[in-house]
Amino acid sequence: MKRKKVLTAIIGIALVLALALPLSSCAAEKKMYTVCITQIVTHPDLDNHRNGFMDGMAEEGFIEGEDIAYIIRNPEGDMTVAASIADYFVSIKPDLIHAITTPCAQTVVAAAEGTEIPIVFGTVTDPVAAGLIPSWTEAAPYVTGVSDWADVPTQIDLIIEIVPDCKNLGIIYNAGETNSVVQRDELVDEIAPDYGLTIVEATAASTADVYAAAMSLVGRVDAIWVPTDNTVFSAFDSILKVVEENDIPFFGSTTAMVEAGACAGAGVDYYWIGQQCAYMAAKILRGEATPAEITPMTCEMLIPAVNLAAAERMGVTIPQSVIDKAQVIEE
Amino acid sequence: MGKNKSLLQLKGITKVFSRGTVDEVKALDNIKLDVNAEDYITIIGSNGAGKTTMLNAVAGVFPPERGGKVIINGNDITGLSEYKHAAYVGRVYQDPNIGTAAKMTIEENLAMAVLRGQPRRLRAASNKQRRELFRSALAPLGLGLEDRLNAFVGTLSSGQRQAVALVMATISKPALLLLDEHIANLDPKTAQIVLELTEMIVKKEKMTTMMVTHNMELALRYGSRLIMMHEGKIVVDLNQEQKAGLTINDLVTAFEKASGRRFIEDKILLRR
Amino acid sequence: MSFSFYEGLVFGLVAIGVYLTLRVLAFPDLTVDGSYTLGGATAAVLIAGGISPILAMLAAIGVGLCAGFITGLLNTKLRLPALLAGILMMVGLWSINLRVMGGANVSLLREVTLFDMVADFLGLSSGSIVVSIIVAFVFAVIVFFILNWFLRTEIGLSLRASGDNEQMVRSLGVDTDKNILLGCSISNGLVALAGAVVAQGQGFADVGMGIGMIVMGLASVIIGEALFRPRGVARLLVAAVGGAFMYRLFITIALRLGMAPGDLKMITAMLVIIALAIPYIQKKLRHEWVPPAVRW
Repeated sequence: MKRKKVLTAIIGIALVLALALPLSSCAAEKKMYTVCITQIVTHPDLDNHRNGFMDGMAEEGFIEGEDIAYIIRNPEGDMTVAASIADYFVSIKPDLIHAITTPCAQTVVAAAEGTEIPIVFGTVTDPVAAGLIPSWTEAAPYVTGVSDWADVPTQIDLIIEIVPDCKNLGIIYNAGETNSVVQRDELVDEIAPDYGLTIVEATAASTADVYAAAMSLVGRVDAIWVPTDNTVFSAFDSILKVVEENDIPFFGSTTAMVEAGACAGAGVDYYWIGQQCAYMAAKILRGEATPAEITPMTCEMLIPAVNLAAAERMGVTIPQSVIDKAQVIEE
Repeated sequence: MGKNKSLLQLKGITKVFSRGTVDEVKALDNIKLDVNAEDYITIIGSNGAGKTTMLNAVAGVFPPERGGKVIINGNDITGLSEYKHAAYVGRVYQDPNIGTAAKMTIEENLAMAVLRGQPRRLRAASNKQRRELFRSALAPLGLGLEDRLNAFVGTLSSGQRQAVALVMATISKPALLLLDEHIANLDPKTAQIVLELTEMIVKKEKMTTMMVTHNMELALRYGSRLIMMHEGKIVVDLNQEQKAGLTINDLVTAFEKASGRRFIEDKILLRR
Repeated sequence: MSFSFYEGLVFGLVAIGVYLTLRVLAFPDLTVDGSYTLGGATAAVLIAGGISPILAMLAAIGVGLCAGFITGLLNTKLRLPALLAGILMMVGLWSINLRVMGGANVSLLREVTLFDMVADFLGLSSGSIVVSIIVAFVFAVIVFFILNWFLRTEIGLSLRASGDNEQMVRSLGVDTDKNILLGCSISNGLVALAGAVVAQGQGFADVGMGIGMIVMGLASVIIGEALFRPRGVARLLVAAVGGAFMYRLFITIALRLGMAPGDLKMITAMLVIIALAIPYIQKKLRHEWVPPAVRW
């Protein structure tokens, strides 16, 4: 039957391609390192991280094209595809895999089990809960990396400095993102009681729900803060609309958020995290240390950032004392 | 089981559709009907006379209006859902596609049918014994279907499908067989074959049968009793002796006398 | 390529589940996105809590059965249209899944899963693709034999006839409502099992893991039907798994060629369209009659 022949041909070609491609990446005379990179979705913070990583590697002497080849894949939110990517990476036996974000790190670590491929994770909020490393101070035999768990009290300090009368603090987040839930738990359970704050929560299961969540906080809060939440950041503008209309001070948790229009934030610098990951990776590639010997890191860099133009739009006056010590974002 | 045992009793069956709207129509008007065992009733009437609706009432497709009763073999089954009526009623539809499952084989279809009205169990639907039963049910049809148990019903012609539907309706020996213009969609040659098959099965199994047809000549030639409906009522009811030797013209006259109307359905008179 | 084999087998379970509702019952059931995650979440939480993986997976099947049962109830007792019932369940299960996991993610990387047990038994490493394929294959075979037998029993036959010709089945004395309840339950139980297997294989359960599962199931069933033209129960089951395999293979190839996963969804859509269009175009070329468009 003609159709069967055509289909068989297509399948045949597909199979040949599938088998041939991995083989083609083999030829090299000088040692060309292969590093695989993956992040769960395209997102300014994650992209910053990746850039920081690749720049950091270049700093360490690994020039792309000469010493090192990068294979970058992005599943754009689809976890099943993330698993396929992890398997693909493992199958080409790279020198190192850099996995950005929790789901990517988890799939990569699971897929690489039994091989000895070193894995450096980055921007994983709680790598211990995710099962990547046994504890905050101990790396796994082949896994180490940098967490982006931002110090929440420092950020709340900043909010109180700018809005001293704040009693009710709103938070918008996606309950489906572990990283956000972890930060929200810390805020509600530990920090709020200490500071005497009442936390008003609004959750959004997807980007479409963010606007409604923001609207639900109007009239009930003195300020709004968002954790490092991918969903919220993707729908950032809808929150800006609400806070600017209603003059609500709005604080972010990363520098990128302040650049995007939050009035201020003691931000996690993802570029810096990426660089730290690169320094770890460089050590591993040069054979100076195994992953087990590199202690996992948390994000120590919290630079307050302020966006004066955004502050004005929300009707917020930022005290000079804050401006002096902060990174001022121009728009 | 003597010929005079009452098999089906319809008492005061009324059915109104689209009540309260512009389209309100009284499809059945206080029908009273007694069917005895082994009666072979042909039912004719113009469109909208209520023939199919009456069959539907017997089959339990809908409950009759209050006061109506459907009694089969002494059991009052008024108002029970259709699948509960199914134990008593075997039905063949006008459309051969409705009576059979196209994506399943003849064997599977018959396996379904033989359990009419019984609860389904977790055991194999078909085995050697059942297959023998199916073959012996299909062989008399003379269509060679008994050798094609594994053929998918969708590959059969309309006539063959209707024949299978007929066997499916009767293989479990239900109390009542309802035929709803079951040869109307077939070409004349096939229709004749299926009609003869119907005759054969009805005689062989001594089935109590109600056959709706548009064809007056058929209605006269076959069956032991003839019923004519008009506007939801039964206007003519002839038994064997009364209908023997009647011509179509006689029927028409009888109709006009009983209903007080002129009979003007060309389709029926001219024999489709 | 071997990974696609594993994926084909495991998502083949999902495809079979979707086939049961979509084709056998003619009931488009969207609960799948939710029940798949529910299965993964339940198994993960139990395993992380110290329960044996086998028991955890049985529990996963159990909750899947319940989820499907409720969808069926919504349709048969409350007369919600099938599509709506499935969507509502899918939405509701999102919250339930978060509750089950006590969060959005449960890690299994440090736990002993079924994969670890099999790997130990065979003396291989748990990340080995051979282990994955064996596990998936065993499940697929067990499911195949059970369903192949079941769909030929009296109950199974009436289930199949319900999707083929519901009117006929009712007139044969079968309570079609019960059939829908049974079919939906089994289907979602299967899907939950798949979720439980995948969660252990990938090392975690996440509230988002089921997103897009119904599309994958639909695509697998449709591709399988177009490629294998199955008739009869056994072939249909194999076709569902085969369709899942082809679908995953295409994705793997697209990934290796460096295609952006964002474009992957478009590719999926095109694949399904082509698979559906080929028989139609063929018929037209042969000047055969084509039936009018089906609303569903």
